[in-house]
Amino acid sequence: MAERPREPKSKYTAERDFAGAFEGETVTRRRFMTLTTHGAGLVAVAAFALPALGFAAGSAIFERPPAGWEPIGPTDDFPNDSYVPRVVTEVTGVGEVGKTTVYVRARNAEIDGPPDPEIDTSFVAISTRCMHLGCPVRYVDAAKRFICPCHGGVYDFRGAVAGGPPVRPLDRFYTRVRGGQVEIGPRYSVNSKFDRFPNYRDPGQPLDGIGQYLYPGRLSTPRLNSP
Amino acid sequence: MNQAEKELYLRDYSIMKSQGKPFFPYAVAKDSLMAVVVMTAIIAMSIIFGAELGPKADPTTTTYVPRPEWYFFFLFEVLRVIKPPYFTPLATIGVPTVCMILLFLLPFYDRNPERRPERRPIATVAGILTIVAMAYLTFLGANAGSPNSVDIKVQPQFEKGKVVVAQSGCLACHKIGENGNDGPGPNLTEIGATTNKQAILRTLENPTAPMPSFAGLPEEKKTALVDFLASLKGSE
Amino acid sequence: MKLPALPLPSALKPPPQRPGEREKTGPAHEVKDAGIAAVDWVDERTSLSGGLRWAMFRKVPKGTNWFYTLGSATLFAFLSQAVTGVFLAMYYDPSATRAYESARHITNDVFLGEFVRGMHKWGSTVMVILIFLHMARVFFFGAYKYPRELNWVIGVALLILTMAMSFTGYLLPFDQRSYWATIVGVNINGTGPLVGPYLSDFLRGGAEFGATTLSRFYAIHMLLIPGLIAALIGAHLYLVAKLGTTAPPWLKSEQTEELHTERV
Repeated sequence: MAERPREPKSKYTAERDFAGAFEGETVTRRRFMTLTTHGAGLVAVAAFALPALGFAAGSAIFERPPAGWEPIGPTDDFPNDSYVPRVVTEVTGVGEVGKTTVYVRARNAEIDGPPDPEIDTSFVAISTRCMHLGCPVRYVDAAKRFICPCHGGVYDFRGAVAGGPPVRPLDRFYTRVRGGQVEIGPRYSVNSKFDRFPNYRDPGQPLDGIGQYLYPGRLSTPRLNSP
Repeated sequence: MNQAEKELYLRDYSIMKSQGKPFFPYAVAKDSLMAVVVMTAIIAMSIIFGAELGPKADPTTTTYVPRPEWYFFFLFEVLRVIKPPYFTPLATIGVPTVCMILLFLLPFYDRNPERRPERRPIATVAGILTIVAMAYLTFLGANAGSPNSVDIKVQPQFEKGKVVVAQSGCLACHKIGENGNDGPGPNLTEIGATTNKQAILRTLENPTAPMPSFAGLPEEKKTALVDFLASLKGSE
Repeated sequence: MKLPALPLPSALKPPPQRPGEREKTGPAHEVKDAGIAAVDWVDERTSLSGGLRWAMFRKVPKGTNWFYTLGSATLFAFLSQAVTGVFLAMYYDPSATRAYESARHITNDVFLGEFVRGMHKWGSTVMVILIFLHMARVFFFGAYKYPRELNWVIGVALLILTMAMSFTGYLLPFDQRSYWATIVGVNINGTGPLVGPYLSDFLRGGAEFGATTLSRFYAIHMLLIPGLIAALIGAHLYLVAKLGTTAPPWLKSEQTEELHTERV
């Protein structure tokens, strides 16, 4: 055979210098066995690790609790120029830790924007969870403001941000009237234009513009599909 | 560090090490004494300061002022002073994550073979600045007063006005002493020195936005409030 | 196997035999021989004494001062936390409805309960202070440079795990301060874009603080992170013994001057 110039040997030709190399063959028997064993190992590890991961994270991320309604008082209890605090149970089965305070008032046609046609807007129920990092806000009637004690967040009468670091207006709760009693339902979030987001977000997650995609809705929130 | 510097260091180090003393008992003695000091400190703190348990966790509260443990005060203070909402994710996640990564990768971007602090000016200055900044932020965080009360001392006739201030939410936008927030309203700690009672009353009833109007306050509360604010003249 | 004599200081070495004196035998010596025989029995089956001698009798460089005790002080604070933590775990009940009651029971009713709880609580403060002091000492002495870079990385990992321990442990007494500090902390995690919401769901065990949140924090605080810390401390100490502690940077050995000067 003539002297071959020094070229790198192709993976695919028979001149690969070991016994049994065939023309056009890319995977040797050795390589095949090695890769198959690695693959089997991967499958074995995944068979163990994926269920473990699913156990730790699955229920937390994917389990959606049912949405419930709770009566909080007769419709006459709630004025339209001030807020009345009420305690509702947001998470069942954990006792006091599952409760939260809600500030409720009747709808005020002069202050509130156009009513959302899909839901019952005769009452407004505002959450005490500050939209900066979750501290409990307090309604101050003298100033008609909600004040957060942690990092200086202030919200106006409708719950929109009036100052400080919160990133969106206070969350609201669905309301409905049954038999003369106002009932409080699940929580929903609003952005600064008061668009409703039924899949509520955690504090600190803005919802304007790109925010709703950057901080997507989750599969673990109790949502109202039909109010 | 190139290979020559590494080898020089290793040679130097092996000489220093061979001139040293065995770990047991010399270093062990020092470590044991330090361990006794640590144990004594922990036991003494437990006996002197005790371990009180606050009231039970209550998510329905509207008056509680949450505060983290002292070693997180620096982060708490950063979150308190970063006011624009779009900077919040930066303060909570961005800056701490970047700092952690910088800390992890320190030996990989500081390749200067020099170890003496006086000959590593950048490292030494950066280290001292970081320590001072964290200490200062921790101190500020510890002093941050609640916006639900005013802690400065006043004469007895102004106590009522002080309570009205705390209840009316003024501290959400104004600072009085150590309580309250830096914005959007001006600091009121010495407002009495620059503004007289009529001007204060006018501002309360007819303010510039975004301040809400307090014209609706009951008369005696309004008078108490104005008297208290007018008395805040700072040191006379 | 007869190993070389231990490098003890002369004060601790046994005195040399006086001329003409026979070996003393008495009950004290028999007890001592029995002890040595027991240790030899274990050593014959494990070969541990070689490794122990390597760890205990390695040399530390000249000039090692009190700053170098901060690392072992941190380890000691961690051990104190581990021991007090185990004792507290015997009385603590990690259920959302009963956690506060069990913490109150420990503080008020259990013998020395408030003391042990206090040791655990203040021990965490002491450990955080010591770990920062130790890190500062390593930084200013330049002890993270070649060949100790890996040790520094392990150390920073230990720092982060320690802060995670204090974060998860803080919730367990379940009083107002604990609860709200945890709420804010979990929400801080949630502000990370894209993964934030799922990360805070994972920490909380759902969208709201619920029945599994406290259990999760308890499992992380008791099992996951202490395991990781113990493993990393083992690696950290191995590297310290293998690479040796640095000499204080302002010291140079006399002989290196000779190494550096030109030979004519």
